[in-house]
Amino acid sequence: MCDGVALSWREIPDELIGKHGLQRRLVKRGEEADREVQFLQRDRQPVLPVWAGGQLWVWTWGPGAQSRLPANCCCNNESLEAGRWSWLEPEPVEIPASYVWHKGVWYQSVGGIRGILVYDALGIPHVYVLTQPASHYYKVMTRSDRMPVFLGDGI
Amino acid sequence: MKTNELIGHVDSDCFYVSAERVRHEHLRHIPVGVLGNQGACVIAKSYELKARGVKTGMPIWDAAPLCPDAVFVKRDFRWYEVLSRKLLGVIRSVSPQVEYYSIDEMFFDASALREPAESLQQRILQEVGIPVSIGISRSRTLAKLMSDVRKPFGCCTITDKEEIENFIHLQPVEELCGIGYRSTRKLHQHGIRTCWQFTQANRHFIRKLLTIKGEALWWELQGEAVIPILTERKKHKAIARGGSIGRPSTDRERLWAWTVRDAERLIEELDFHRVLVGELVMKLSYKTAGDWSRSVRFASPTGDFDKLLEAAHHLHLVACLELQGQAITHIDLVAERLCERGAEQRSLFEADEGNASIAQLKRATNEKLGRFALRSAATLPLTDIYNDEAFNYDVCDIRDKTCF
Repeated sequence: MCDGVALSWREIPDELIGKHGLQRRLVKRGEEADREVQFLQRDRQPVLPVWAGGQLWVWTWGPGAQSRLPANCCCNNESLEAGRWSWLEPEPVEIPASYVWHKGVWYQSVGGIRGILVYDALGIPHVYVLTQPASHYYKVMTRSDRMPVFLGDGI
Repeated sequence: MKTNELIGHVDSDCFYVSAERVRHEHLRHIPVGVLGNQGACVIAKSYELKARGVKTGMPIWDAAPLCPDAVFVKRDFRWYEVLSRKLLGVIRSVSPQVEYYSIDEMFFDASALREPAESLQQRILQEVGIPVSIGISRSRTLAKLMSDVRKPFGCCTITDKEEIENFIHLQPVEELCGIGYRSTRKLHQHGIRTCWQFTQANRHFIRKLLTIKGEALWWELQGEAVIPILTERKKHKAIARGGSIGRPSTDRERLWAWTVRDAERLIEELDFHRVLVGELVMKLSYKTAGDWSRSVRFASPTGDFDKLLEAAHHLHLVACLELQGQAITHIDLVAERLCERGAEQRSLFEADEGNASIAQLKRATNEKLGRFALRSAATLPLTDIYNDEAFNYDVCDIRDKTCF
């Protein structure tokens, strides 16, 4: 699963930072460290950075206020492949991330993670993080049975 | 080695973390922990993480709460070896004699060094990207002590006898490489707490207390280089493969699968060093903090995988009988009584190794397609381990180091 991602602020255009009020999500892990924007599921309005159509967007993470959409923040890859999301016409997207947060552990993500994009009845985009069964290493590291589908090197 | 020569010691600062920062700049200046083989323990930590109380060997479930903003990274020994050899290359370019002591430490003959240690340090930082600490003195023990004291990113060159004496006055005796917990206790019992006090003790007394190795340290601290720089590692007395098996297990099939994996890694190493094994030792650790060890002696030294596996299987069955119900945490296979291929005394009563062609095929396949591409079916219970390619290369797979 996934409780949050962090991305270097350098990778996010200023206009997106301004438009979505991402300044309040800016964090530094050390005095001399680079600033990063943290996108956490526990935020009042959880959002995620998303690469789609060659452009970076910031979209709602999970159903938001849309009760007709699946209630969680992740999409099980097996259920996606079984066609249980097809009624939403999901599109694959890439979620850039320097780090991913899960069960209290921040770990490095090389290349980011995969997600799906669905639209609600009003045509508003929503993003779900795609998950898969956790590898042995991941299970030990986070004590979780599921992990994100990684872009590039997995864990 | 003549005693008037100088020896340098290069020690990388939190090497695994620094190596990760070479390719991932965003990890700089933040608390970083590198996780070990199973993803459970912190095997290396940045100074930022250390400052938060995280220690090497600490499980992640203890480390993460201590430093919630730490970033944990999966180890990659192949990458660490790349940088380690790059570092070795830089040192070899300035010194005719270099000892590849460990993945992140090297000793070198500093007699002909044409630049101050600080310049070499900067060069390494520029060419390899790794911050190092350097010590230069009249013996390797002193050089290592100096680089340790000046960490991180420090240099210390002391060659004058009087200055060396001043330096060792302040150094606790347990800081010496080769002085472990038991030796420290012995020395403390005799009032020897600093390196200077160590040098003031009677040499014969030190030899009696700490054997010839202790005496060597005694000379080294006097500035007499008696431990040479080893440009090639000594021949192996034993070769071991194994370690933690992740979650403790009582499952016989899984334990046998780990044993076979270790046997396959061991035979690779025996092949590489062109040695045969005379005795196979199996060492187990189990959850109740116990250790178990048994061995099988071969009629004549062998390099045959099937014979090795047969012996390992016998030991595995004995272990299952003797340790019924104990959850095993570590399995190690140790090849002892090694002899060079072609130099062994053949037995009159043993058939030729029949499956050599299968072993050759396996080796050739794996050389072409990657390690463990073709492996024993007995390892199938460990599919989760084999699916993770990073598991296939460990720190002990980095060859030529003199340390272990």
